[in-house]
Amino acid sequence: MSLQVLINGIVLGGLYACVGMGFSLVYGVLGISNLAHGALLMLGSYVTYWLFTLYGVDPFLSIIPSMAVLFVLGYLIQRLVINRVMGGEIRTTLILTFGFQLLLINVALYIFKGDYRAVSPSYAGEGFRFGSLTLPYARLAVLLIGIGSAIALQLFTTRTKVGNAIKAVALNRRGAELCGVDINHVYAVTFGIGAALAAVAGSAATMVYVLTPYIGQPLLGRAFVVTILGGMGNIVGPLLGGLALGLAETTGAAILGTTYQEAISFIFLVLVLVLRPQGLYGRQFFGGS
Amino acid sequence: MKKSDPDIQVARPAVSVALTTLVQQPMVKVGVSAVLLAVAVLVPFILTGYWVRVLTTMLMYAALASSLNIIMGYTGYTDFGNIVFFGIGAYSTGILMKVVGLPLLLAMPVGAVLCSLLAVVMGLPILRLRGYYFAIASLGLSQAMRELVRNMEITGGAKGFSFPMWRVPPRTFNISIYFLMFGLMLMSIAISRWVLHSRLGYGLRAIRADEQGAAVMGINTTWHKITAWALSAFMTGLVGGAYGFWFVYVTPDDVFNILVSVKYLVMVLLGGAGTVAGPVIGAFVLEYVSDFIWARFSVIHMGVLGLAIILTVLFMPRGFLHMIRTRVRPLLARAIIRAERS
Repeated sequence: MSLQVLINGIVLGGLYACVGMGFSLVYGVLGISNLAHGALLMLGSYVTYWLFTLYGVDPFLSIIPSMAVLFVLGYLIQRLVINRVMGGEIRTTLILTFGFQLLLINVALYIFKGDYRAVSPSYAGEGFRFGSLTLPYARLAVLLIGIGSAIALQLFTTRTKVGNAIKAVALNRRGAELCGVDINHVYAVTFGIGAALAAVAGSAATMVYVLTPYIGQPLLGRAFVVTILGGMGNIVGPLLGGLALGLAETTGAAILGTTYQEAISFIFLVLVLVLRPQGLYGRQFFGGS
Repeated sequence: MKKSDPDIQVARPAVSVALTTLVQQPMVKVGVSAVLLAVAVLVPFILTGYWVRVLTTMLMYAALASSLNIIMGYTGYTDFGNIVFFGIGAYSTGILMKVVGLPLLLAMPVGAVLCSLLAVVMGLPILRLRGYYFAIASLGLSQAMRELVRNMEITGGAKGFSFPMWRVPPRTFNISIYFLMFGLMLMSIAISRWVLHSRLGYGLRAIRADEQGAAVMGINTTWHKITAWALSAFMTGLVGGAYGFWFVYVTPDDVFNILVSVKYLVMVLLGGAGTVAGPVIGAFVLEYVSDFIWARFSVIHMGVLGLAIILTVLFMPRGFLHMIRTRVRPLLARAIIRAERS
C-alpha cells in the first residue's frame, strides 16, 4: 500500500515540478510572481485539447505547438503590459498578473464554455503493473516530461546565447545591460519561456485532470509551494520541490483522507514560508553549482 | 472698464483661489459628509429592494476595504488573504448563534475577537516575513483555512452552514441589514481615521516608509504590525458575521473566496491606499461598475474585473484620490484661470 502511495507521490510530483519550473524561472529573472501562470497553463491545455479533438494529435506531441502559442502570448503580455510596471512595488505586479488571470480565464470561459472536457487517447487508462502496484503510462510520461523540461531548461540557459543573457540578467541586471544585453527583450523572452513551460504543464495536465477553464487554479497554488520549496529561480529546485510536495500530498491524503489534499499543500506552503523561506535547496539563482 | 484692464486682471484669478481654498475647508468636508449621511439614512426607505441590496453590498465592501487599508494602506503589507477573517467571522458568528444560542449582536463581536486572535497567533510567524512573502503566506493561510473548514463537521463541511433565520417581512429585513452594514462601514471608517492620527498610525506609516529605519528609531515593528493586522481582522470578522446573517446560508467557497479579497484589495488601490476616504470611494465606484456589468453582461463579469485591475495598476497605481490631487486639480485650476482671463 505505502509503495503505491510513494509511486503516486513521485508521479504527481513530476507534474507539480513541471508547473513550478516556469513560475520559478519568471520569478528568478524578472522578480515577478506570475499569478496568471495557472491561466496560461489552462490555455496550453486547451490547445492540446483542440488539436486532439479536431486533428487527433497525440497530447504529448501537441506540447510543441502548445509551447509555441504560449511563448508568443507570454512575450507579448510582458513586452506590452507588464514591462510598464517592472521595477515598481512587488504588489503591483502581483495584482496586475492577477488581473490578467481573471481576464484570461473569463475569455476561455466565454469561448470554450465551462463544460467538462477530457483528453483520452487510446492508452489513457493503461499502465504498468507490478503485482499490486500500478503506474499509469500517462502519469509516468508526465514525470519524464518534468525531468526533461528541467534538463532542457538547464541546457538552454548554459549553452545558448539567449540563455546566457537570461542568466546574466538574473545575476546582475546592470552588468548585463553594460554588456549590451537588451533587457526588455530578455525579460519578454523569459516570460515567454515561462508561459511555454506553463503550456507544457498544461498539456501534461490534460492527461491527469478534467479540463475546464479552472484547471490551472489548484496548480497555481502548487506552483507557489514548489517554487518556494525549491528556492526561487532555481531549476533543479522545483524538481525536488515538486517531488517533495507530491509525496507530502499523497502521504497526507493516505493518512487523513483525500479531501485534505489541497489543505495539505497550502499548509505546507505556510510552514515552509515560516520555517525555511529560502527553500529546501536554499541557493540563489545559479549562484554556485 | 475693458477686460484687459490691469485691475481686473489681478482680481479675476482670486476667484479660482477662493474656490480651491473653499473646497479644502474642514467645514465644507463636514457639510458634505452630513449631506451624504442624511441621504444614506433616507435612501433605503425610498428605493426598491434591488437597489437597497446593491447599496448594502457597496457598504459592505466599503467596510472591508477600509479595514484592509489598515494593514495594507498604512502599514504597506499587502494582505491577499484577508478574506480568511471574513470567513471565520461568518462561520463563528453562525456557530455561536446556532449552537450556543447567542444573539447576533453578541455573536458578531465574539467571532470578530476570534479573528483577531487568529491574526495574533498567525501574525507572529508570518508578519516577520518580507512584504512579498507575507502576501503569499496570507494567501496560503486563507486557502488552507478554506480547506480545513470544508473538512470540519461543525461547519457543515462542503454542504454549507445555515444561520438561524430572522423571520420578518423582506422589506424590514433588507432595511435592517442595510443599516447594519451602514453601521459597520461607519465603524470601519472611524477606526481607520483613529488609527491614522494615533501613535499606532504614526508607527505603521514609518514601517511602510522604511521598516528598518522605523526599528532603528525604536518602534516595536512586530507589535505594531500585529496590532494592525488584528484590528483589520476584527473589523473584517464583524462584516463576515453580518454577511452570514444576511445571506443565511454560507459555504467555504463563498466566504473564503479569494476573488472577494482581491476585489476589495483593488478597491483600496483604486481609491488610494493609506487615505481614509480612498478605500471607501474605491469600493463604491468598483462595486457600482461591478454590479452594472453583472446585470448586463454576467458572463464576462470576471473578465471586466480583471480588466479594471489591469487598467488601475497601469494608469492609477496610487489610486483615484492621488490622481485627482496630482493631475486633475492642477488641470482644473489652470482651466479656471484660463477661462477667467478670457
